[in-house]
Amino acid sequence: MNRKLQILVALFGIAAFMAVALKVLMVLQASEFKSPVAAVDTVETPRDQALTELAEDRAAREQAKPYVDEEYRQAPVFGSRVVVWVLAQLHLLFAAFVLAVPIFAMIIEAVGYFTGDKKYDKLAYEFTKLMATAFSLTATFGAFLTFALIALYPKFTTYLMHVFSPTFLPYVLLFFFEALFFYSYYYGWGKFHPLVHLGLGFMLNVVGTAIMFIANGWLTFMMSPAGVADSGAVINAWEALMNFTWMPINIHRVIANVAYGGSVAGAYAAWKFLGAKTDEERAHYDWMGYIGMFVAISAFLPLPFAGYYLAREIYAFNQALGIMMMGGAFSWLFIIQAVLIGCLFLAANFYLWLGMGRIEGTLPFQKLIKWLLIAIAVCFAIWATPRSLISTPAEVRGMGGSTHPILGALGFMAAKNTAVNIMILTTYVSFMLYRRTGKRPIVKWAKWGNIAQFTLFALASAVVIFLGVVSYFVDAATRIRLSVPQVLAVLAAMGAMTIIDIFLLRGAEKTGKIHWGKLPPISQYVLIFIAVTFTWLMGLMGYLRSGLRMHWHVYGVIRDNSVDAFTPTLGFATQVVSVTVLIFFVLIAFVFWISGLSSKEDWQPRSSAVEP
Amino acid sequence: MKIPAEIKIVALVVGTCAFYTYVGQLVPQKEVQPPAEVLISSDITTEEMIAIGEEIAQGKGLCLTCHTVGESGALRFPDLAGIGSSCTTRIPDKSGLEYLAQSLYEPDIYIVPGFNPGMPNIARPPIGLTNDEMLCVIAWLQSMGSEATVTLETRHSYNTDAPEAE
Ligand code: HEC
Repeated sequence: MNRKLQILVALFGIAAFMAVALKVLMVLQASEFKSPVAAVDTVETPRDQALTELAEDRAAREQAKPYVDEEYRQAPVFGSRVVVWVLAQLHLLFAAFVLAVPIFAMIIEAVGYFTGDKKYDKLAYEFTKLMATAFSLTATFGAFLTFALIALYPKFTTYLMHVFSPTFLPYVLLFFFEALFFYSYYYGWGKFHPLVHLGLGFMLNVVGTAIMFIANGWLTFMMSPAGVADSGAVINAWEALMNFTWMPINIHRVIANVAYGGSVAGAYAAWKFLGAKTDEERAHYDWMGYIGMFVAISAFLPLPFAGYYLAREIYAFNQALGIMMMGGAFSWLFIIQAVLIGCLFLAANFYLWLGMGRIEGTLPFQKLIKWLLIAIAVCFAIWATPRSLISTPAEVRGMGGSTHPILGALGFMAAKNTAVNIMILTTYVSFMLYRRTGKRPIVKWAKWGNIAQFTLFALASAVVIFLGVVSYFVDAATRIRLSVPQVLAVLAAMGAMTIIDIFLLRGAEKTGKIHWGKLPPISQYVLIFIAVTFTWLMGLMGYLRSGLRMHWHVYGVIRDNSVDAFTPTLGFATQVVSVTVLIFFVLIAFVFWISGLSSKEDWQPRSSAVEP
Repeated sequence: MKIPAEIKIVALVVGTCAFYTYVGQLVPQKEVQPPAEVLISSDITTEEMIAIGEEIAQGKGLCLTCHTVGESGALRFPDLAGIGSSCTTRIPDKSGLEYLAQSLYEPDIYIVPGFNPGMPNIARPPIGLTNDEMLCVIAWLQSMGSEATVTLETRHSYNTDAPEAE
């Protein structure tokens, strides 16, 4: 018999067997059940009777149950708040990554196109590959979060949906376009005219940003509600969306996402670098890590200013909320934040310093970076320790007691502002020095250029420090106003120095080659450390943004009546943040692994049969 | 023996998180409960009102998140020590009671010299004190620097329409 026939017979056999089995079953079902015992009539015992009555009773009671809307449901083990918290944070971390990657992928791709350097194009593609897996994880966590909100906070979620129902259709449509542009951008790599492809990337970014803006409307509404009556009734959905903190959060998030995406991409490169087998690979991933880090720090430098703007708007919306944030229960959170930011600045400068090792011809003045590192460490210390970090019982009592823990911390805001401004400026100079390595300017005015740059740096530092000191001796209203010129001095100096630098290094003579991949492995661990710190920082600040509302779902409008209405201790909050970050890194390892697969060799059956 | 890079990475990630969590344990640990409802019975004395007012100022009213009592220097918010007597001289022709009521119900009408506006209207949410709670707060304010005179029966321009406390 041939093979086809065999299969046919077998299939037929199976079908016939199933038909017979079904028939037997039906016959057995139809026939009346006969107890195997001889007893014919069953005597109903009192127990049986009672059992039936009980069952009937229960059924009747269940039928009569009225339907009630539940206000809250409690998630088992962890409690509703922690479940929603972790899910929201994970969703946000992936979303931030997915929004950020196309921003700098597009920029890098554009650099590749305009310089004609294929290397950049490859790198942009590699970044985009990371986004592919993260994309679906983002959506998964988004759905997960939505279900958790509906299940655990049904009443409040219904309220939010009531306010924001007009935004749902646009949101879904945008999501549809996001997928459309993403897949055509990703799968269409190299298949279109580069400009068309860049256009796709651009549209992907526009749509992605619009999605985020809508989601930001929902969550900023909870902090600074607008467009609703005191009772919560909707007056104007547009106003609700475009509430007080909406734009500041939008700006802050776009910048922070880029910084964050850059750092995670840098971690990816570090991971590949550490596992690399050849010098070539190492060179490539060293370069990729450097670009990721460059993106991260460039975006990170303006971030404190965006944060400052956000904080100001919170104050403007409601002083009490602002005080609660910088004073009250949350003031110590900023100490933790200071530790993290200090770590970031230190690590970034350390990485740059290590990076000089890969360039021939380091100029003597570049040894200066060491001093910059020290300057940053000092600023860090000022910033992180308004008092001792170790709390004494008296301080704890101060926190909880009737007196004002706040002003103590607020009084130090001037010092902190000063320190952070100097840190930003110093890191920026570190970058300039790094840029200068292995190059010698050939323009005639090179010397004057350098002097001008140095003067700008010294001037800005002087302004910042001077104003910082003055702040201690003036009244409150003036002190707050003084921080603005501080910020402006730093921004102006950085802007002017950048412009000078661009012209200064135009056509600069190369004095040394860059040996990508030739730097100690510790640099790669620094990159990973930076990514973890960024992620953790986002978790912490996410907690601040959300926890600030205290016992309100929507600040001043919808009160939180659940068992989780209290504000947890910072210790507890940091534990939740850490767990979230660890989960994120387990998942991102998976993302990295998947993205790495495509460059692996194909699977081959093991050739066990040895040729004779 | 050489430790594989993977293990080092895991150790680094876990170690970094552990370090930041540790920092989080070092700062003061305080759980903030939602403000408890203050029960005000109709027959309380002015003395009791002061005590309740102080409790509100610390908790539900959030007053002491901004204000200090007995501090000096470059303050952001007016210090409340002595407000019981200074309230009579802030606005000419306005009694101390009326001034205090106005500072609470319509704080932006008169701004204390040297300070910026920013006192929230505490009769409205999120703080949302009731008229009776306001009277207790006023009693507490009066008690700092002078004699508290209000009772739950006291009427000022902002609660004249309110029904008499039973
Ligand atoms: C968000 C911060 C904030 C909170 C909370 C706050 N205040 Fe004020 N308060 C201010 C500011 C700012 C001023 C000064 C501006 C003004 O006169 O309106 C002020 C002024 C006052 C004054 C006038 C002081 C004077 O010297 O004449 C009184 C009285 C007062 N507040 C009482 C209270 C009480 C009672 C509470 C709590 C129920 C409270 N405040 C809550 C910020 C606040």
